[in-house]
Amino acid sequence: MRPRDNILVGAVITAAFVVLVVGTLWLVRGGLQGGYPMYVRLPWGSGIKQGQTVFLTGVDVGFVSAVDLRTDGTLVVEMRIRKQFRIPEGTTASIEPNGFFGDVDVALRPSRPTTSYIPPRDTVPAGKPAPTMAQLLARADSASTRLGDVARVVQVEMVQGGGIADLRKTLESANALVVQLSGIAAAQSRYLDRTMRSLSRTVSAIDSATVDSAVKNLKTTTANMSDLTNNLERATSQLDAVLVKVDSGGGTVGKFVNDPAVYNNLQAVLARLDSLTADLRRNPKRYINVHIF
Amino acid sequence: MTATALPEGGAFRRAWDVIARPILEFFNGVGARGYFLREILRALGEPGTYLPEVVKQMRAIGVDSLPLASLVAAFIGSVIALQTRYQLFPGIQLSVIGLIARQMVILELGPLLTGLVLAGRVGAQMTAEIGTMRVTEQIDALETLAFDPVAYLVVPRIIAGLIMLPVLTVYADVIGIGFSFLTSVIVTDVHTFDFRAGLRLGFSQFQVFYSLLKALMFGGAISFLCSYEGYVTGAGAEGVGRSTARAVVIASIWILVLDALTAAVLAPYLQA
Repeated sequence: MRPRDNILVGAVITAAFVVLVVGTLWLVRGGLQGGYPMYVRLPWGSGIKQGQTVFLTGVDVGFVSAVDLRTDGTLVVEMRIRKQFRIPEGTTASIEPNGFFGDVDVALRPSRPTTSYIPPRDTVPAGKPAPTMAQLLARADSASTRLGDVARVVQVEMVQGGGIADLRKTLESANALVVQLSGIAAAQSRYLDRTMRSLSRTVSAIDSATVDSAVKNLKTTTANMSDLTNNLERATSQLDAVLVKVDSGGGTVGKFVNDPAVYNNLQAVLARLDSLTADLRRNPKRYINVHIF
Repeated sequence: MTATALPEGGAFRRAWDVIARPILEFFNGVGARGYFLREILRALGEPGTYLPEVVKQMRAIGVDSLPLASLVAAFIGSVIALQTRYQLFPGIQLSVIGLIARQMVILELGPLLTGLVLAGRVGAQMTAEIGTMRVTEQIDALETLAFDPVAYLVVPRIIAGLIMLPVLTVYADVIGIGFSFLTSVIVTDVHTFDFRAGLRLGFSQFQVFYSLLKALMFGGAISFLCSYEGYVTGAGAEGVGRSTARAVVIASIWILVLDALTAAVLAPYLQA
């Protein structure tokens, strides 16, 4: 027996023993720092088991260290929370699914930010559980059933009732219409191109000096028109004043227009003038006496 | 051997050769190993003979095999991580990789591959050593000198095998999981947190006990079967070669058989 063999074998076995103990404890307890226990009471069938993660608002704060099955329909779940984390007052614990295959986590959700905490070894109230995979699958099953019903109706209406044939005809008509519209658009485009070319030619033919002169003439004409308009406005206002005066019966014209006596007098004058004219025709000598010398 | 003496006659002899002889040889082999086991148990009463040799054999079986067992475990751990990651379809949480790596390494591949590797390396060495001593009549010399050859040659190897294979399995488990973790985190998109969460999911101490129990059985099987094959070796150097090959094959088969039996008996207790 050589001492070197003893040392080597002893070292290997001791190291293996230490690795075995430490590794097992690490896997079982989730680390060598123990943390403190917290409890939550959950209903049967929660799918929780030892080793599952405990999240506090999404942060990994510990793990499930033990699950105790009670005959009253509940599971008492012991959680190990790492020492640097504390559970705020008002927090509820619920089970939430993790992935598609039934794995779950414990989710701790504080109701509000607070500086008071639930003491270690206390029980966190159970919250409303998130929908389980079975519930989600049932919902998906119901949705797929409804989808099947819709598909059946579509099959009846579209296939058996000839809906697809009608749709196809409509699409063909629409296609023909689109072709026609495309032709029209192409023709219009050609006309528009031609017009644009002509316009371009015309525009390019205009002499800028002529345009300048025309613009100056146009400005002068506009100024004259402005003066004319002002004169017209003045004349109109004067005419308005005259008409107002006439309308109110002021002045000779007003009286002439508005006074019935003037009219009657004028009628009488005209009647006398008529009789005078008639008398003059009949007896011109009464009025015309020509004396020579 | 009188148990397999052949009767005379054509058809009867052929039937004897085909059916009865293998059965009788099987029983003969079981009985011979049973006697050998009895000799081992008897030899346990002579600690003064075997204890000085135990540490030497522990070094040969355990310490010297550590690099090979570690290498195999490291590659197996890496392959498990890569294969598992790339077989996962979208939607499966990545922590599954840690869980699968742990379960595969601790429950199955750690002890099994360590056992198979040691059956090749240590089992062959045991058979060759003892067989050579047999054909060179050193065992007869030991008997002449009033040394119990079973206590001196076989018992230390069996004790060393029973102790060192679980020790090597602990290293293989740790190295396998460690390399699985490193491969997952470095080569794939698995995060440390995912792997660690899966590693701890549904773990119980019984899984480690199961792994060590298998290693214990494999260690006992390797040292017992290979020592026996060497102890009964005959016909010179050629016989030693045949016995060595035969020992490795028998030990490997028995490792697989014991693995299956252990899984059949204890697997229900492993359910996560």
